[in-house]
Amino acid sequence: MRRIDDLALGIRLSVGGGRSGWVRLALIAVGVGLGVTMLLIAASIPTVRDARDARDGARSVDTGQELSLGSPSALVQEVRSTYREDPVVGLMIQPEHDGAPLPPGVTQQLAPGDLVVSPALADLLASHDGAALQGRWGDRVVGTIGDDGLTGPEELRFYLGTDQLTDATATRIQSFGGAESFDEGLDPTLLLLVLVGMVVLLLPVAIFVSTAVRFGSENRDRRLAALRLVGADVGMTRRIAAGETLAGAAGGLVVGTLLFLAIGQLAGYAVPASMSFYPEDLRPVPVLAALTVVLVPVTTVLVTLSALKQVLVEPLGVVRRSGERRRRFWWRLVFPVAGVALLTPLLGGLDGSLGSQVMVVAGLVLVLAGVALLLPWLVEATVHRLSGGSVAWELAVRRLQLDSGTAVRAVSGIAVSVAGLIAIQGLVGAIGTLSAESQADTSTFQAAVLDIAPNGRSAGTWTSALAGAEGVTAVGELTSTWARTAADGATSDDAPTEPVGDDDMLVESGTCEVLAQEARIDACADGDVFVVVPEGANAPAPGSTYLLGPAGSDDVRWTLPASAEVVDPPSGGVDAMGGMPPRILVTAGALDGIRLDPESVTAYVALDPAVPDALDHMRTAAAQVDPAAFASPIEQERIASVLGGVRQSLLVGTVALLLLIGASMLVNVVEQLRERRQLLAVLVAFGTRRRTLGGSVLFQVAIPVLLGLTLAVLTGSGLALALQTAVDAPLTFDWVGVGVTSGAAALVVLLTTAAGLPLLWRLTRPEALRSE
Amino acid sequence: MPTEPLLTEPLLTAENLHLSFGSTTALDSASVEVRAGEVLALMGPSGSGKSTLLHCLAGILHPDAGRVTYAGRDLTAMHDDERSALRRSEFGFVFQFGQLVPELTCLENVALPLRLGGAPRRAALSSAKAWLERLEVSDVADKRPGQASGGQGQRVAVARALVTRPKVVFADEPTGALDSLNGERVMQLFVAAARETGAAVVLVTHEPRVAAYSDHEAVVRDGRVRAREYAR
Repeated sequence: MRRIDDLALGIRLSVGGGRSGWVRLALIAVGVGLGVTMLLIAASIPTVRDARDARDGARSVDTGQELSLGSPSALVQEVRSTYREDPVVGLMIQPEHDGAPLPPGVTQQLAPGDLVVSPALADLLASHDGAALQGRWGDRVVGTIGDDGLTGPEELRFYLGTDQLTDATATRIQSFGGAESFDEGLDPTLLLLVLVGMVVLLLPVAIFVSTAVRFGSENRDRRLAALRLVGADVGMTRRIAAGETLAGAAGGLVVGTLLFLAIGQLAGYAVPASMSFYPEDLRPVPVLAALTVVLVPVTTVLVTLSALKQVLVEPLGVVRRSGERRRRFWWRLVFPVAGVALLTPLLGGLDGSLGSQVMVVAGLVLVLAGVALLLPWLVEATVHRLSGGSVAWELAVRRLQLDSGTAVRAVSGIAVSVAGLIAIQGLVGAIGTLSAESQADTSTFQAAVLDIAPNGRSAGTWTSALAGAEGVTAVGELTSTWARTAADGATSDDAPTEPVGDDDMLVESGTCEVLAQEARIDACADGDVFVVVPEGANAPAPGSTYLLGPAGSDDVRWTLPASAEVVDPPSGGVDAMGGMPPRILVTAGALDGIRLDPESVTAYVALDPAVPDALDHMRTAAAQVDPAAFASPIEQERIASVLGGVRQSLLVGTVALLLLIGASMLVNVVEQLRERRQLLAVLVAFGTRRRTLGGSVLFQVAIPVLLGLTLAVLTGSGLALALQTAVDAPLTFDWVGVGVTSGAAALVVLLTTAAGLPLLWRLTRPEALRSE
Repeated sequence: MPTEPLLTEPLLTAENLHLSFGSTTALDSASVEVRAGEVLALMGPSGSGKSTLLHCLAGILHPDAGRVTYAGRDLTAMHDDERSALRRSEFGFVFQFGQLVPELTCLENVALPLRLGGAPRRAALSSAKAWLERLEVSDVADKRPGQASGGQGQRVAVARALVTRPKVVFADEPTGALDSLNGERVMQLFVAAARETGAAVVLVTHEPRVAAYSDHEAVVRDGRVRAREYAR
C-alpha cells in the first residue's frame, strides 16, 4: 500500500509541479508518444499485410479450379503493365454466360472494350500527368472498382471486357478467389534491405524514448532531495521518481495513440502505390499493441531507475556519481562482438530462411546497439585525454569530463541512425550496382515488348505499331521458334511444341542490331549465323538440318551453315542460369527466304531520351496491339521498382528520425542551459564574453557528435561491406552517401545548437544575475 | 592621458540611482561613494536594495535613472561589451555560494578570469597557484569545487576575485553560507589580501560581525542609502 502511495505521490508531483512540471510532463509525453507511434505503426505491418493479402486472395484466379457443368463461367487473362515506376495490373474478362463470376469490387458484367478501373487509376487517366497512359486499354471506362477489390487506395488496377480470349492462353473460372496463395515473397536481397531498414528506423526510436524520459531529470532530482529532507528514504524516492515517469509514459501512450490514429488516415497514401493500404487496415496486432502498452512504461521506469543510480539523492542535495566512476569498456564490447558473430555467416552468402532473417536482424540490432553503448565510453575516454585550448574549449572539455552522459545520450540516436543509414545506403548502392551489372546492353535498344502468343500476327506488326508511338526512334523484331534435328523421314509434325530433349533448340531471327541484344557479337553482317551454347548444353553440329516451327506448321527445313560462329551469351541473361537449350541466332539473309512461324516475338525498341514518358507511350502502343504483351525497359525492373520504394520509405523515415532527434537535442540543450543559468550569470558578471560561452556550448555538443559520427561511419561502413558481401556485390565505399548522411546529421546538430543560442543570450544578460 | 585619481577622490560613485522591477522599487535616489583601497560595507535588512545597489555599482544592472561613474567614466553610458571588459579587468566578484565552475578544478577556477583576459594558460595557472597559497587553500588546487568544503570553496572564490588584481572587489554576502569560524577566517584573509593589493571592497552583508571588517558602513533601507559612517 505504501508503495502505491509513493507511486501516486510521484504522479501527483508530476502533474502538480506548476508550469515547469507541466512542460516536463509534456516533453516526456511527446517524446514517448512519438516512439509509441512508431512502434504501433511497426506493430500494424502484419495486419496491413494480412488485409491486403485477403483482398488480393479474394480476386485471385485459381488456374486449377474444378469446373462444374452448367455453372456460369468466364475466361480471364492477367495483364501486367507499368506506368513510370508503378505497376498497373489488370485482368481481361470474357464472360461466357449471363451470370459469369464478377471480381470483388465490380458490380456489372463487362462488354468487350468496357473498362472498370481503380479510383487511383481513374484519377491518373483523367489527369494531364497520365497522358501517356490514356487509351492503353481503350477509353470506355464504365465504372470504378470498389474498396473490397483493391489492396489499397493508391493501387493502379483495372478490369477489361474482351471477346478475344481463347482457351489456349486464358483461364476458365467459375468464381474468383481460392487460388493457392503463391507468395513469391521478396527476393532475399530485398528482404535483407527491408529488414535492415526496419532495424535502422526503429532502434533510434528506442534510444529516443529512453532519452525523452530523462528530460528535466535534474529538476526532478532536486525535488527528490527536498523529499529526502522531509523524511523520504531512498526506496521511496525511487518509487516517487517511477511514479513521475509513469505519468509521463501514460501521457506518451495517449499522445502516441492519437498520433497513430491521425497518421493512420494518411499513411496508406504516403507509401508507394504498390504498397498502399486503407486506414482501417492499419490496426496493430493485439499482442504487439499490448506489448507496446506494457513495455513502454516498464522500459521508461527502468531507464529512470537506472539513471537514478548515477546520482546520490541526499537531503541536502544531489551528488552525481559520474565523476567518480569511470565507464567500463569490456561489457560494452559484448554487444557489437555478438552482433558481428551473428552477421559472420552472411559473408558466405544470403538465403531467405527464417533463421537467416532472425540472425541478420539480431546481428544488426546488437551491432547498432553497440554504437549506443560504446559511444559514452568513447567520449569519456577521449575527453579525459583532452586538455589545453581556449577557455571555451576548456570549459566544454571540463564539463564533458565531469558529466558527458547528457550530451552523449542526445547524440546516441544520431550515431545509431547514421550508422544504420550508411549501412543501408551501402546495400542499396550495391543492389543498384548488381542490377546494373546484370543489365543487357541498352546502347541500341532501351525497351522491349515480348509477345508470347503472336497468333499468326504478320511479321512487322509490332514494328509498324510501335514505330508510330511518340518517342520511339527505332524498332527491331526478334522472332523465335523451336527447332529439332530433322531425322531421316521426319516431318514438322514431329517438331516439339516445347523443349523435350537435348536436340531441341531455339532459332531466333533478326537484324544484327537485334541479335547483338542476345549475345556478345563482335562483327555481324546479313547472312551471318551465330550459336549460343549455355553451360551444360550440347553445341549443335554445323551442317545439321532442322525442322522449324510448331507442330502442324508447314514442313520447313533449314541447315545450320558451317560458317556459324559460336558466341557467348550476354552476362546475367537467362543463358547464364544453365539448363537452357542452345540458341541459333540467324540474320535474315541466312534463312534463304524462309519465313518463320514464330512461337514468340520480341520487339526491341529504341527510345528518344528527350521525349518525356516515351517508354509509356510505347507501352500504350503495345497494349493496343495486344493488352497481354509484356512491355518493359531492358533492365531488372522489379528490383529497380522495389528499390525506388525502399528509397522513398527510407527518405521519409530518415527525415522523421532526424526531426525527432533534432527535437530531442534541442530540448537537451535548453534544459542544460536552464540548469546552469546561475553559473552562466556569474561567468558573465566577471566579464566572460558571450562568444566564449556560445563556443563552450557548441564544443560541448560538437565533441560528442564528432566522436559519434566517426564511430557511426566506421560501424556503418563495416556493416555496409558485410551486407555487400552477403548479396555478392562488389565492395564499394559510398563516399557520397556517407558524406550526405553525416552532413545532414551534423547540420541537425548545428541547427539545434544554434536554436539554443537565443536562450543562452537571454540567460546571460547581466540582469539575469538578479535571480542569483 | 587619464590621470590616476587622488586617494581622497571617490573611485566609484553612484548618484541618485533609481531602479524598479515591475511595480517594485528597488532603488530610490540611492547615492554612495567608494574610495580607492577602502572597504565599504552595505548593510540593511533583506529586500532593502543593497544587492541591487552592488549590481548597479558593478555595471551588472543598468539603473532606470541616475549615474554610476568609475574612475571618471560613466558606466551607465557604456556599451555592454565595455562594461564586460571593465568587469573582466578592473572588478572582482565574490558571491554567497562561491559560484565556482563545477567542472574546473579549484586552480583552474582561479585562473579563469586571467584566461578570459587573454593570459596564457601556464602564466594564469602560476598566478592562480600563488593566490591559492596566499589564501591557504593550495591543498584543494587539483580538486573540483564539489570536493572542497564550504570555507575552502569561498576562499577559492576570493582568490578568483583577486587574481586579476582588480581595483574594486564586489562581495555579496561572502560568508552567508559559512559557519562563524569559517566566516571569520574567510573575512580575515579576504580583507587582508584586498588591502595588500590596494583593491577597494564593496561588501554586502547584514551581519555586523562581517561589517566590522570594513572602513565605512552605509545602511540601505527602502532603496535609499540612509547613512554613511565609519565602521569603527
